Amino acid sequence: MDSLLPLAVAIPLLGAAGISALNPLFGNRRRVLDAVAILTAAGVTGLLVAIMLSTAGGQRVYWFAGFTPSHGVALGIDFAVDQLNSGLAALTATLVTAALVFSWRYFERVSTYYHALMLVFLAGMVGFCLTGDIFNLFVFFELMGVAAYALTAYRPEERGPIQGALNFAITNSVGAYLSLSGIGLIYGRTGALNMAQIGQAITGHRPDGLVVVAFVLILMGLLTKASIVPFHFWLADAHAVAPTPVCVLFSGVMVELGLYGIARVYWSMFGAGLGHHGAIAAVLLALGTVTAIVGALFCFRQRHLKRLLAFSTINHAGLFLIGIALLTPLGLTGAAVYVIGHGLIKAALFLCVGIVLHRLGSVNETTLHGRGRRLPVTGAVFGLAALALADLPPFALYLGAGWIGQSGDARELPWITAVIMTTSVLVGAAVLRVAGGVFYGIGDPPSEDPQMAEEASEETSETDEAKSRTPLSMIVPPIALVALALTVGLLPHLGELVQDGAVRFQDQAAYNATVLAGAHIAHPTPLLGPEDTSVTTTDVVTGVGTAVASLVLALMALYWRRLPVLRRGFEPGTGLVGPIRRFQSGVVNDYVTWMVVGLACIGGALAFAIH
Amino acid sequence: MTPSQRRWVFLVAGGGFLAFYLWGLIGLPGFGHYPGPYGDIINAIAVTQTHATGVVSAVNFEYRAFDTLGEEFILFIAATGVATVLRHLRQERDTSAVDEARNRDVPATSDAVAVVTLAFIGPTVVVGWYLASHAQTSPSGGFQGGIVLATAFVLVYLAGQFIVFKRLSPVALADAIEAIGAGSFAAVGIAALALGAAYLTNILPLGSTPGAVNSAGTIALISFFVGIEVAAAFILIIGELLEQTLIVREGTGR
Repeated sequence: MDSLLPLAVAIPLLGAAGISALNPLFGNRRRVLDAVAILTAAGVTGLLVAIMLSTAGGQRVYWFAGFTPSHGVALGIDFAVDQLNSGLAALTATLVTAALVFSWRYFERVSTYYHALMLVFLAGMVGFCLTGDIFNLFVFFELMGVAAYALTAYRPEERGPIQGALNFAITNSVGAYLSLSGIGLIYGRTGALNMAQIGQAITGHRPDGLVVVAFVLILMGLLTKASIVPFHFWLADAHAVAPTPVCVLFSGVMVELGLYGIARVYWSMFGAGLGHHGAIAAVLLALGTVTAIVGALFCFRQRHLKRLLAFSTINHAGLFLIGIALLTPLGLTGAAVYVIGHGLIKAALFLCVGIVLHRLGSVNETTLHGRGRRLPVTGAVFGLAALALADLPPFALYLGAGWIGQSGDARELPWITAVIMTTSVLVGAAVLRVAGGVFYGIGDPPSEDPQMAEEASEETSETDEAKSRTPLSMIVPPIALVALALTVGLLPHLGELVQDGAVRFQDQAAYNATVLAGAHIAHPTPLLGPEDTSVTTTDVVTGVGTAVASLVLALMALYWRRLPVLRRGFEPGTGLVGPIRRFQSGVVNDYVTWMVVGLACIGGALAFAIH
Repeated sequence: MTPSQRRWVFLVAGGGFLAFYLWGLIGLPGFGHYPGPYGDIINAIAVTQTHATGVVSAVNFEYRAFDTLGEEFILFIAATGVATVLRHLRQERDTSAVDEARNRDVPATSDAVAVVTLAFIGPTVVVGWYLASHAQTSPSGGFQGGIVLATAFVLVYLAGQFIVFKRLSPVALADAIEAIGAGSFAAVGIAALALGAAYLTNILPLGSTPGAVNSAGTIALISFFVGIEVAAAFILIIGELLEQTLIVREGTGR
């Protein structure tokens, strides 16, 4: 079983190289390449699911080239696989498979470059999840980054994709360099790159400037990838221009990998050594809350469907970060389940937008109003997914939201539930407004600001001309993903299983012993007592309430101009046009400046608290 | 933000960052005080364990070979990305490389430049192969050797022979060689799995004398594959960029 672990990365890499090498032979038989890519991704998915199931009894550690550590010193690189990171890797592979199946009929002309890029992207993301070595984490961070930049610029005929890809590449590279300098600092202190070994070396000493600075710098690349405010500006630009199957991966997993990285770096390296849990939790909670609110407000105002979904992802990234920042097993459990549900549902939503683009040739909500009635199946899937995004039970998302809220209540932070509910209502309403307006022609088309209209019309069809029917290969993946989100939400004992994984994830001593000494720890020690994960009536009522409130708000938005009381020219969200244009300027210089501002603020806050 | 606003915001925030960063830097050990343990242990055991006297190569291609595999594929996918962005598009047409500033005299490449660069091609190829195939004995290896090999092709272009350069390095061939180099590295790892060892374990005989060319097992093999991958990737990137500058023009041609 253990020898299968490296294959999860090696197979997609070999697949990508094989497709490129065989290009001269099969270049004009595109279906062969499509099939090889899909089979590779599907095989990796199966492999990762098997690996995930095998981690239930404890962590699995795999040492490359056979260099097991001696006397607590790691000479080589390891994969340290537990329930949470193998589950995230399995989600990644599932979404890559769905995106590749969707691409079967989506692109008219597709070169082998697309398949190679997608498979290397998959390998990078899986490696990022599984590795136990901080420099190896950086290598995979860069590998998935480079593949993602190229995929963003996949349609270089237009200026938009090149600009979006450049903004993406520059901001994420700046983040990566900051992370690398942080890795350099901590290596200078400990002489180690293995996360467990670094953690062991800095535990028990009072944290000094070097440790704090290294922690903050390493976080920079991860916060950028996770699109946490003020590091988030690249995300909407990249989503607006990347091909839709690629957006599925950006929103569905890549952003979440940044958050996973934060959790991994904290609990496997810095947690015990840094101490000061209160200060770290406060900083991360503040970042998460601001991100959730900014994402929700900007999302509600968007008319460009891909940008709208992108801002919804920013909102959810903030909520996930809140779950992690609580530093409790239940908070992490909630975040993990939320990530799974959101990944599946957001992927389905993007695929539906891809079908709209394929059939109707536009992603502008205003011009599409009512035109989606020709797509009843897509409309039904989109509507259902929109309700799921608004935390409707029994899709998995309401569980995640409920557990994060519960854990917040237990730590006497009841406002967390309020943040989750209000921002979820805003995001759910925005997506439901699209569902009702575009697919069912309810209400009036939203009025729009001319500049927003210009933005929304810059998206041209990724396929050649509007098609008269939706191919099966395009509608089956979103249906399957929505069904999977439903299944996950109905799994018995889901909470207990994931919380087991979360407890293991947070037990740094057990992680160190397993990685460095090969110990088998059947029962890790919970950092804080595990909490009750049974699904209560409150969870269900909260979820249903959020969904209903979203629906009401969406209907209000659609019928705004016919509402008797509030007819005096006021539009919901009008005040946001200015800020959106001012901050989301598209100028990468601004974005990097905001990143430095964010870095200075986070660094200052932690320096003040820990010094 | 206007540029001047941005400048002020950046200067203030950058100042804060600098102070914070300096706070971290003062915690580093002083110059010449290596705290260990990694380098000390590797220096003590690498030569006997791997039979490679180039210990940096031993780290790159054996102890941390999995990192190098990732880095290798970063280069592979970067070259693929360049090819993706610069691939021939519908609205572009090829023209011969005509000088667009017609009122200036462009001197032909002088014979001196052509002769000297052509004379350097042979030695460059030899040095490139030498570096790529001697990772185990010296501070060289596939990355360095591959770059030098790619330089040999650029010399052809410098000698004024762009068309020859293109003929020597067609995109499809460079693409395929690049993929074979990168894929072979990944496959060497799989071979170890097939023999029941861990991924990327050094499964070949190490040779009797450390420092001999035929020593160090897969270190030499991996370095060789990295060499051809790096050479092909750089030829591909340089070729695509030159082609974009010299031949491809926007237009409505079909």
